[in-house]
Amino acid sequence: MNPRFTFPLSCIPTCALALAGLLLAPHAHARINVVTLPDRDSTQLTIYNSADLTLVKETRILTFRKGLNRLEFSWANTLIDPTSVEFRALTHADEVDVLDASFPPRVANTLEWGIKSEFAGEVKVEIRYFTSGISWAADYVAEASQTEKLMDLAGAVRVNNNSGEDYENAQVRLIVGVIRLVENIAQLAQQGRPGQPPPPPVTDMPMAPAPRMAAMRGMAEANFATAAKPKEIIKEGLSEYFMYTVEGRDTIPTGWAKRLPSFTAKEVPITSLYKYERERWGNAVMRYYKFTNSVPSKLGTEPLPDGAVKAFRFTTEDKLYAFVGRTSVKYIPINEAVELELGHDQEILVKPVLMNWAKTDLQFDNNGNVKGWATKETWEIEVQNSKEIDVMLDIRRNFPGDWTLVTDAKYEKVDATKVKFLLPLKSREKLKLTYELTTRHGSNVQK
Amino acid sequence: MKKLLLLSVAVLLVACSSLQARVKLVALPERARVVVSLNNPDATLVEEERIVTLQKGVNKVDFSWRGVNIDATSIQARMLSHPDNVTILNTSYPPNENALIWEISSPVAQEERVRISYLITGFGRDVVYKAVSEPDETALTLRNYLRLRNNSGEDLTEAEIGIGYGASFKKTIAHEEVLEVLSERIETLPIKKVLTWDAATLPWDPEYQKATVGIPLSYVIKNDKASKLGTHTLLPGKVRIFIKTKEQADKEGDKPGEGVAFTGEDWGTLTPVDRELKLYIGQSRDVKVTQRQTKKDRTNIRRNNNGNQDVVWDTDDVYKIEIENFKKTAIDLVIVEHLPGYWKMVESTHKFEKKDAFTIEYKLTLPAESTGDKKTVVTFNVNRLNVQGNEPANY
Repeated sequence: MNPRFTFPLSCIPTCALALAGLLLAPHAHARINVVTLPDRDSTQLTIYNSADLTLVKETRILTFRKGLNRLEFSWANTLIDPTSVEFRALTHADEVDVLDASFPPRVANTLEWGIKSEFAGEVKVEIRYFTSGISWAADYVAEASQTEKLMDLAGAVRVNNNSGEDYENAQVRLIVGVIRLVENIAQLAQQGRPGQPPPPPVTDMPMAPAPRMAAMRGMAEANFATAAKPKEIIKEGLSEYFMYTVEGRDTIPTGWAKRLPSFTAKEVPITSLYKYERERWGNAVMRYYKFTNSVPSKLGTEPLPDGAVKAFRFTTEDKLYAFVGRTSVKYIPINEAVELELGHDQEILVKPVLMNWAKTDLQFDNNGNVKGWATKETWEIEVQNSKEIDVMLDIRRNFPGDWTLVTDAKYEKVDATKVKFLLPLKSREKLKLTYELTTRHGSNVQK
Repeated sequence: MKKLLLLSVAVLLVACSSLQARVKLVALPERARVVVSLNNPDATLVEEERIVTLQKGVNKVDFSWRGVNIDATSIQARMLSHPDNVTILNTSYPPNENALIWEISSPVAQEERVRISYLITGFGRDVVYKAVSEPDETALTLRNYLRLRNNSGEDLTEAEIGIGYGASFKKTIAHEEVLEVLSERIETLPIKKVLTWDAATLPWDPEYQKATVGIPLSYVIKNDKASKLGTHTLLPGKVRIFIKTKEQADKEGDKPGEGVAFTGEDWGTLTPVDRELKLYIGQSRDVKVTQRQTKKDRTNIRRNNNGNQDVVWDTDDVYKIEIENFKKTAIDLVIVEHLPGYWKMVESTHKFEKKDAFTIEYKLTLPAESTGDKKTVVTFNVNRLNVQGNEPANY
């Protein structure tokens, strides 16, 4: 029998598991091979988006003999980190013990476990390891109604498998969060067997600092029960990461990418928001869809991972699209308000005009030179909404120095040098915003 | 089969779970509808509808393309016939192929109209305006063309093309084809012809110039209902303006023919509704503007205590503008003056409009043949206050 088995769909040699029965020699130099070729019973992928790291958990049914069993695990042409491979019995756990793990000489990408079993018969086991080469990213499609009051938001996740391994019928779990790795998984995978250890760690932990382990434990839940780490850290770790479990199972052969629908939220209330701030965008008006990741907004059940967004607007009764724009969103916690920046817009006009400028309140020093003065500026901001729909416009003006603003318009002071005018604009509405800005200079400055 | 258009939809009933086999059962449903949306100036969205015959269960629909500049991440499918019970389970992207496979579940065997949308690059669009003015330059016929340049790799057959306003139109535009479509035609659109003399850019005294000073000539179109416009923002584009001419009759006694002469062109800017589009199309040399500063005094001078430096002062300035119109018709002229800093108008012979803090405009109508004693003279006296020599001239 072939010591390696490949999955039915794969043409690439992949992880192989072979059970060699009754090996008495402590070292497996004899390379006695397969007794059984167990299929994967189940596979679970936990994929991180902040690092090139995926935790693979697979279960298989193995038939053990009483006494010493030797189990060979090999993974040619994959990107598995050999230092990460772990074995555990799920059934008869108290009767099955791993005595040792050996990376045989002159054989790449292979490890052998010496397993002592008190039980003869089928045992469900779990094998867990890290691989690189699998990544995931979230993406979203926003479909705004014609009035841009509501949108349907569909989230998807796209998993790319370039790991060299096919994972069939895998449960896919995705981790959102930033983890720390002290060694690169792809590099570890290249070595084929454990190499030079990393710089001496503070504790005798084999490789990873606390945050990462905490995350792993959080993900793998009870599977890590044997790890000698206090639970509080697990909770802490969990609190900083979020896990997305894709419903059902999927097959993603190596080289392939797969996009899976993640959620659909219908009729999420949005604000069609436009922004003008000359210091940021020149004379362009920027377009946004603003919404909140909250339950009243038909969302709010999960944080939304960062990802690319494409926004469309329905233009006809039969829901033909107009392409509004594309952007990327940051990670959105629950109840956070989000503004999708969708590019320049030509149909909202904002034109500030300085209508009057005066220099007054001159003060002179002992030498008769001007030491203080004030400038008084009258500004008119022409605003025009050429759209068929009502919108909200956010105009920001920056006023350096010691200033006083006089206006009938409602405004909000954003900070010491910035004010915001928030204007709801009806379809086709035109208006003029006027304000008078006095700025004190030189010795006239009072604050 | 078109040369470059290789979008194909193949439907397979999932018999085995193998994705890698990539066996394509090529049933190529024809496009039932193609819609091109040019609403977004930076992107071209194509939506096409195809009737796909689905089997009961999970179907694989294969969508692939070659030589077409499709943004693969933008491809989406929407079910039109049974959106509630026909669903896309997932999308797979095979390695090294311009293709994707949708797994679509259907509760029964049925035909489904699927709308596939995607963004393409290489599809250029220009707005081009052509106008023919009446001989008296009071109105023109404006034709607005959409010039489409298809370098997307895709032949768009019988495509409904929309530009975000007005009705969309149905055209076929092949790959590498440039297609110009008349999108709007407005007859007898009233225009204003106006000359603009800007004190900041034109010489003040033509006597000192070797060549006759040409004064910029513009046509002003207002994007409003009165001008038979005002339904949408006018998009930027080149405007070519012609004027109707009488042509010599072929034979003596025949009626003279009608022709046109080219009078100039300009780039039209984005013009929202109710705003003016000013097209600078040439120069007039039959109007002569001479500006002189006839008073240039400094008053209220304050020196520092050493007496060696003027710290702050006012000015008292008088400007005189003499304008002669040698034409046999009256003409509108705008005089643009720039007044930096803090100023107050003391006196002006004519009404002016303050455009911003540092700019005023006189809007004049020059009578026909107003030369010599009949010339137009504008005089204004302006005081500038608290001058320190560092006054702002713009903002």
